[in-house]
Amino acid sequence: MSKAEQKPKKVYGMLAEYGNPAKLIRAAKLVNRAGYQKYDAYSPFPIHGMDEAMGLKESKLGYIVLVHAIMGFFGALALQIWTSSIAYPINISGKPFMNIPAFIPVTFELTVLLSAFGAVFGMFFMNNMPRHNNPLFNSRRFEKVTDDGFFICIEANDDFFDEDKTRKLLQDAGATHIEHIYTLEDR
Amino acid sequence: MAKTKPVDDLIYPQNTGILRVLFGIGALGIFASFIGFFVDTKQFHFSYLTSFSYLASFSLASLFFVMLHHITRSSWGVTLRRIPETFSYQLFILAIMFIPILFGMEYLYKWTSPEILATDHLAQHKQPYLNQPFFIIRQIIYFSVWSFLGYRLYKNSVKMDENADWGLETLQRKISAPGILLFSLTVAFASFDWLMSLDFHWFSTMFGVYYFSMSFQAFFAMIILLGLFLRSRGLLLNTITRVHIGDAGKLMFGFTVFYAYIAFSQFFLIYYANIPEETLWYYHRLEGNWSVISYSLIIVRFAAPFLLLLSKAAKSNFTLLGISSVIIVVIHFLEMHWIVMPTLHYHGFSMHWLDISTLVGLGGLLLGFFFYQFQKHSMVPKNDPKFLESLNKH
Repeated sequence: MSKAEQKPKKVYGMLAEYGNPAKLIRAAKLVNRAGYQKYDAYSPFPIHGMDEAMGLKESKLGYIVLVHAIMGFFGALALQIWTSSIAYPINISGKPFMNIPAFIPVTFELTVLLSAFGAVFGMFFMNNMPRHNNPLFNSRRFEKVTDDGFFICIEANDDFFDEDKTRKLLQDAGATHIEHIYTLEDR
Repeated sequence: MAKTKPVDDLIYPQNTGILRVLFGIGALGIFASFIGFFVDTKQFHFSYLTSFSYLASFSLASLFFVMLHHITRSSWGVTLRRIPETFSYQLFILAIMFIPILFGMEYLYKWTSPEILATDHLAQHKQPYLNQPFFIIRQIIYFSVWSFLGYRLYKNSVKMDENADWGLETLQRKISAPGILLFSLTVAFASFDWLMSLDFHWFSTMFGVYYFSMSFQAFFAMIILLGLFLRSRGLLLNTITRVHIGDAGKLMFGFTVFYAYIAFSQFFLIYYANIPEETLWYYHRLEGNWSVISYSLIIVRFAAPFLLLLSKAAKSNFTLLGISSVIIVVIHFLEMHWIVMPTLHYHGFSMHWLDISTLVGLGGLLLGFFFYQFQKHSMVPKNDPKFLESLNKH
């Protein structure tokens, strides 16, 4: 695509940097209280109390795992009962065909296996992963996030997003630096 | 952080009422059991062994918990630690309480009888291990190891309350590291001696782990109940918080699964191999209405607490934790009964009044001693280097 055809860069959101974890928590609290929904806080390490500050609800991952565990449990039992006592019964040292104790190890293993799959892939799904790029990577300053940078980014498609008001809010919360994040539309 | 000061009263209010009640109940139970001894000597010894193994399991698991806490330098449970410390201190009392079992060996253990020894090949084969003098020597070794460890760990911890000497913490670790090794061996062999040798034809190499897994699960139930009891009295409300009890709840949940894993593995290997002298033990326990207990162990001891405590919120919900803990503490006794009693009543399950009276007698005395000791010192190791960290846990 030629340069002439390139559309103007679109604003993805507004990135604000804060000096330390305590300031980041305070800012997240203010942003949350102002009613923003589409925003996130970024830090080099997990910060205790961030979930409450951002008003995050309990993760739904547990329910995904539970569903998988139940599927694994009944799936394994059904598979073994069908194969070894209905479809092709084999006499193993005179034990009953429907030999529930012998089925427990496989049932246990499959319950654990599917739970683990549910946990890992459910986590991927809920984090929108795998994702090859994020507009935030367009900011040079954001590279500090793996070292000593504490950021909040409010997305432009949030209902409350307003160029001046959002900037003022982030500024009042104690931001040391504020910039726009752009998406490159020519992708 | 600013909130690192203990604001609670750390001394249990001097209250002789609870001691009078517990010692009174205990004495009553002992008196009833004493009468039972003359009424039905054999039943008395079996009931006594059941109650003893049941109550000893709490103190032994407490000792393990304290040593584990020291060698891993854990901080989360420092506020809870004085409770298991006091329980493990009691192990020398349990040593005294074991003496009636030594005198009742001829009633309890068939391998002591000369007639059986003369005719039974297996009894002759196992005689180098299963003979009365060696049995007594082993008990002396077990109880001296346990009493020593429990006594030292408790005394050092109490001494730290007074002189705040953090060097004692290093000493605690030095005692705990070899202690945990000695503990694992002695508990495994003690469970072989007390419970497995009741049916000396039978053997299970994982019986020691089985006894330990039962005990450790029940131990967390007990510590949760005691924590909730202290809170209901308005004690340590800001010291033993929802977080500490919630953590004990998580561990109780974990060890519920561990127990089920071990108990099932023991059953499963024997069931699948199908060798007569091994299966007979389970055969007796699936006979008559013993099978009701066998199946209820799966449902009540594993499935019920597992499902009740599965969600994250449930693990720090005091009502659900309390219910599951009571279930576990009760079923733990029933399982001990289920291990011991089929040797005597192999036709079916029945509760004898001596089971209750020995349990109430020994349990009342031990709990009485617990509260007597608990009142003497601070209820938490207040000068422990990790105490503030534990207080700040959230």
